[in-house]
Amino acid sequence: MNIAMINGSPKPVNSNSGILLKMLEPLIRTGNELTYYNPNKRPLTPAQYSELCRMDVLVIAFPLYVDAIPSHLFRLLATLEEYLKSEQEQEQEEQDIYVYAMINNGFYEGSQNHIALDILKHWCTRTGVHFGQALGQGAGEMLGSLEKVPPGKGPLKNLGKAMHSMAANIQSRSADDSMLFSPNFPRFAWKFAATHSFWNATAKKNGLKRKDILRRL
Amino acid sequence: MRMIVHDLQEQEFAGWAEGGQGELTVISDNGTIRQCMGCFGCWTRTPGACVIRDGYNNLGELFSKSDELIIISKCMYGSYSPFVLNVLNRSISYVLPYFVTKNGETHHRNRYDHQFELSVHFYGDDITEAEKDTARSLVAANSLNLYSAGNHVYFHDSLHSIKEAIQ
Repeated sequence: MNIAMINGSPKPVNSNSGILLKMLEPLIRTGNELTYYNPNKRPLTPAQYSELCRMDVLVIAFPLYVDAIPSHLFRLLATLEEYLKSEQEQEQEEQDIYVYAMINNGFYEGSQNHIALDILKHWCTRTGVHFGQALGQGAGEMLGSLEKVPPGKGPLKNLGKAMHSMAANIQSRSADDSMLFSPNFPRFAWKFAATHSFWNATAKKNGLKRKDILRRL
Repeated sequence: MRMIVHDLQEQEFAGWAEGGQGELTVISDNGTIRQCMGCFGCWTRTPGACVIRDGYNNLGELFSKSDELIIISKCMYGSYSPFVLNVLNRSISYVLPYFVTKNGETHHRNRYDHQFELSVHFYGDDITEAEKDTARSLVAANSLNLYSAGNHVYFHDSLHSIKEAIQ
């Protein structure tokens, strides 16, 4: 099978979506040809859009942005709809493409990804492709600090289980219920770490104090 | 101040904002907006303002000065259009990076002691009921995360209908 691995993060480097794609890769690599796309650096070319129309599977990884899909990825999807419909007119039939998504959100609860998931499902319906399955990981910003933790262990227990399920569905190109979940890590500890080890620590590196973060313009 | 964010062509929107009372700020697509880079600079480098200096870097501050935020957007798959999404992606400095728990869910803390009314006018001639449901959920979620005083969602099948509604 030809599988497109689309990194929908706006971050140029070190994205959590990239981490999720790399976690998934070994589970679906055998017997398949994987092609990576990074539309965050520059828009896809017409040739790349045409390639996507001929894929068997699209795996789209992206962060939740303002309860929805990041604007640059959304623009890609709107353009891809036009390419897919153009190809359908030429071929006189719908493409047999399955779409899978891996969403991560900054809030603790993965359940907050449900609106972006519904938007993606509507895109599939409009575009005439099959929606396969999605997983939604809460506290996605933790992923960068957990790269040495194997999926399925510790805070990534839910993620590993969901990813194995999705990999099996990708291999058989089948649809299944989506899975939205929080990390296997207490919310109070996540909140404490996010505040002190991430936001305050990052601001400090930039020469700012907590009162600077709170400023009003 | 009223603030309108829209994705209409310049000639489509021309004249709409005339005759209203009070200050009005209009955010439209002049072709120069850049996408959010996910750098969190608006929270940890230049708090309250986006680091991308393209003329769309003060959206959070503008929100804080608005009594009413009116969004006019094509409804696409139950979502806003790419431009309106881009504007919202670039406006997260309106809230703080810190988290609070409300009704058992995590959200960002508010930066300003301020609330605006959020009104969203979606347009499109073939919006499905399922897409309308999703769009309503999206606006409600945005309203919660932006601490808006309330939210109103309207669907239109013509631009004339939107013009009548906002004037």
